[in-house]
Amino acid sequence: MSKLSNGALHAVFAPVGNLARVDAVVRRLADAIELGLLADGEQLPGESELATRLGVSTVTLREALMALRQQGLVTTRRGRGGGSFVTAPDQPRTARLGHRLADWSTEELRDLADHWAGVAGTAARLAAHRTEPEDLVPLQRSLEEFEAARDPAARGRVYGRLHVELAAAAQSARLTKEEIRIQAEIGALICLALGEDDARAAVVELHRALLRAVRDGDAELARSLAERRVQDAMERLIGLRLTVAG
Amino acid sequence: MAVSSTALVDEVVADVVDRVRGTLEDVFAAVAQVAERTTAIAAVRAAGRAPTTADLAALRPLLHERLRRRHDLISGIGFIAEPGLLGDVPAWLEWWQNHGEDGLRPLLPDLDPGTSAYSDYTHWDWFALPRATGERAVAGPYVDYLCSDEYSLTLSVPVQHGGRFLGVAAADVYLRHFEAAVLPLLRRLPAPAALVNARGRVAASTDPRHLAGSLLRSVSGRSCGPIPLTLVTALPAPRP
Repeated sequence: MSKLSNGALHAVFAPVGNLARVDAVVRRLADAIELGLLADGEQLPGESELATRLGVSTVTLREALMALRQQGLVTTRRGRGGGSFVTAPDQPRTARLGHRLADWSTEELRDLADHWAGVAGTAARLAAHRTEPEDLVPLQRSLEEFEAARDPAARGRVYGRLHVELAAAAQSARLTKEEIRIQAEIGALICLALGEDDARAAVVELHRALLRAVRDGDAELARSLAERRVQDAMERLIGLRLTVAG
Repeated sequence: MAVSSTALVDEVVADVVDRVRGTLEDVFAAVAQVAERTTAIAAVRAAGRAPTTADLAALRPLLHERLRRRHDLISGIGFIAEPGLLGDVPAWLEWWQNHGEDGLRPLLPDLDPGTSAYSDYTHWDWFALPRATGERAVAGPYVDYLCSDEYSLTLSVPVQHGGRFLGVAAADVYLRHFEAAVLPLLRRLPAPAALVNARGRVAASTDPRHLAGSLLRSVSGRSCGPIPLTLVTALPAPRP
């Protein structure tokens, strides 16, 4: 078992919400596997520890593990040295993600988009009031890294950081935590929507304009650009959702 | 108690500035000890081999003692290695945090760029400033989403040996703890006041129009000496 208390895994193993807990756990762990946060062959924490950390009962956890086994993402071995292990499935990545996307209804995706746009928009507005040019240096660096990233998993990780850094620039710990939570929930799937070159170019252009608005202290422009950035990405994702069966 | 005559106010301002400085100098004293101990560890190993994470484990008794003794102010403390310093890992934080009733725990972040977008810590102010200047630094207030998810100040000093930069020793002060330490001081002033960092960001304030995190540009005040905070007593009207 590797370094399970790191920041990203904190989000992976943070308590899930009250509703549809089995689904929530399945989504959380499947996304972590897609993102490479949980590596092939990695042992998951024991059932009771994992249940405690995710804030679910062991029964719920077992149901979720069963679903993950059915999806081929987790293997459970019995006996000495046994436990649950991550298995990198042999299906192509995009096919697996498509399968994951089918778990979401368009209504759930739209609702998440609304919530995310609220968080991102407020963060951008506050950041425009509360940042000096020097504060924006890491954000520029992340944008360059995003542009340079070639493989989808790396791109997805940096994409999340673009959002988290902007929330941190707002000087709000709560908004930052909320962005981290949202990224843990939807980050892997958003990568699907960024598969096309023109989609990525649009993200870069919009993000660059957003950073300019923040730098210039144009709070209302920053807010509307941040909202649009979320809406564009989620619209692409919902478009994809409508092309997959289920 | 609030005072009003000019001479008296000046005296109180001077005293408040002194005490704010003293509060953070106490934290710097703990950080300096960590730096000193780390230098000694690195020096012992310099002759034969590169230091390792096992060598750095010798810092733990000191780190734990400081976290326990100053739990009112220090929530995290440790040494952050310059990448490439250690013989057994590419990068490392020997970093311990006080989790209150849950005790003291090490921070074990994912430092593999292949799996984490947050693996490179060298661009954070608390690392980059001491490395660039060779001087100690007060970073923040900022949202520390790497270590604690808390709004924090991080006080750091460069650790050097034989002219080589080894990393930084540092301590985290959550802003709510800093506020608890300095608000009673600021309240002694006859009018609302704020402590502002070198970039103009408010770190603590008794003016509800200019709270922590907001920017106060082009204001003047009394410097806290070697601590890069300024006490601003004549606060501007809020923007319309």
